[in-house]
Amino acid sequence: MDIKQVMGNRRSIRYFEPDKPVEREKIQYMLEAMNRSSRAVNADFVKTIVVFRDELDPEVLEQLKTPTTTAEIDMAPVHMFCYLDLTYTEGAQGRLKELVQLGALNASHGWSEAYVDEVVWATVLKPIASDPGILAYIGAIDAGVAINQGMLAAVDAGLGVCLHAFNTEVAKTALGVPDHWLPLHLLLVGYPAEDPLTGGQRPRRPLSTQCFVGNASTPWEEIPEVTEQLKKDGLIQEGIDAEKRRAEVRQLAQRFGLPE
Amino acid sequence: MTPTELAENPAVRRWFTSANLHELDEEGKTHRLALLADFCAQTGRQPEELVSGLLRTTKDGDTAISAKRRTLMNATIDEFVEKSGFTGKDAVVNGNIIRSFLVHNGIFIQGRAWRAGLNQS
Repeated sequence: MDIKQVMGNRRSIRYFEPDKPVEREKIQYMLEAMNRSSRAVNADFVKTIVVFRDELDPEVLEQLKTPTTTAEIDMAPVHMFCYLDLTYTEGAQGRLKELVQLGALNASHGWSEAYVDEVVWATVLKPIASDPGILAYIGAIDAGVAINQGMLAAVDAGLGVCLHAFNTEVAKTALGVPDHWLPLHLLLVGYPAEDPLTGGQRPRRPLSTQCFVGNASTPWEEIPEVTEQLKKDGLIQEGIDAEKRRAEVRQLAQRFGLPE
Repeated sequence: MTPTELAENPAVRRWFTSANLHELDEEGKTHRLALLADFCAQTGRQPEELVSGLLRTTKDGDTAISAKRRTLMNATIDEFVEKSGFTGKDAVVNGNIIRSFLVHNGIFIQGRAWRAGLNQS
């Protein structure tokens, strides 16, 4: 699928085909897409634990359910628990040096092995590593970039995805999560039981309300021809028809016995 | 409280309006009211008490949901469904009818989803 179509088709899917298994090949595609994401100091920020729901100990599965997650956990056949590894500054010097040696980081931009060996720890990495707030803040940004890439891969593979909160304490014990992994998101994965396009795109505000040019008070002016082309390419799609959507949601609720 | 009396309760009216339950046939409406009436009788609470019992006021004066009491409510609903003799999909559906009442009165709560491919009790 064209990348514009993939980005345009992504929705938060909340109704999954509970008994349609997701192929491991597609999960690996998602994981590799996450692994190819942009990342500071070439670190592996995200640690992902893939759980195939029906392979999980039923007792643990029940424990993972909370009054705010039960229905989704019942429906999604794959649960990807995403964590931020707070040790990401460890080994960063070695990875940066490798990037210098490979020509990814170059003298043209100020990079050198001497800088990495002698300066980068004290001026960049140590201040990050020694402040838990900054450590989590910087890491969460890069983790989010990776997770989004995995989500887009899922859409490309015909799957539905939705980010979700989860019972972090139960998951920590049940999945053997180390102390230095900070819980981020539960990424639910499965084949959509609902219209994969959920009846249309969610409302978004115009670019002019959130994008600026030159300074923070000059709104970005859309180029109408570009907007039209992006519509043709599938990035910008029709909004939700609320009446049709309500009818679909009612059908889904009846199928799964959920509250209407 | 009879199902007819229950229908006039403000929290129940709110539920019916918000969930468009007036569009249901009489049987559907009566079933929901009777189920909620039974649940109220079993728990010894009025409909609005079911809702208010799940809310708490924060130190800043805001309204929040009590996570502990919501967990307890989920268990109470499951117990009610079991005692009422519902099994299979009926158990899921009827438990979630009670949850629907709570949801449309501002309580974020989820119960099980019915999986046809799984032998659920």
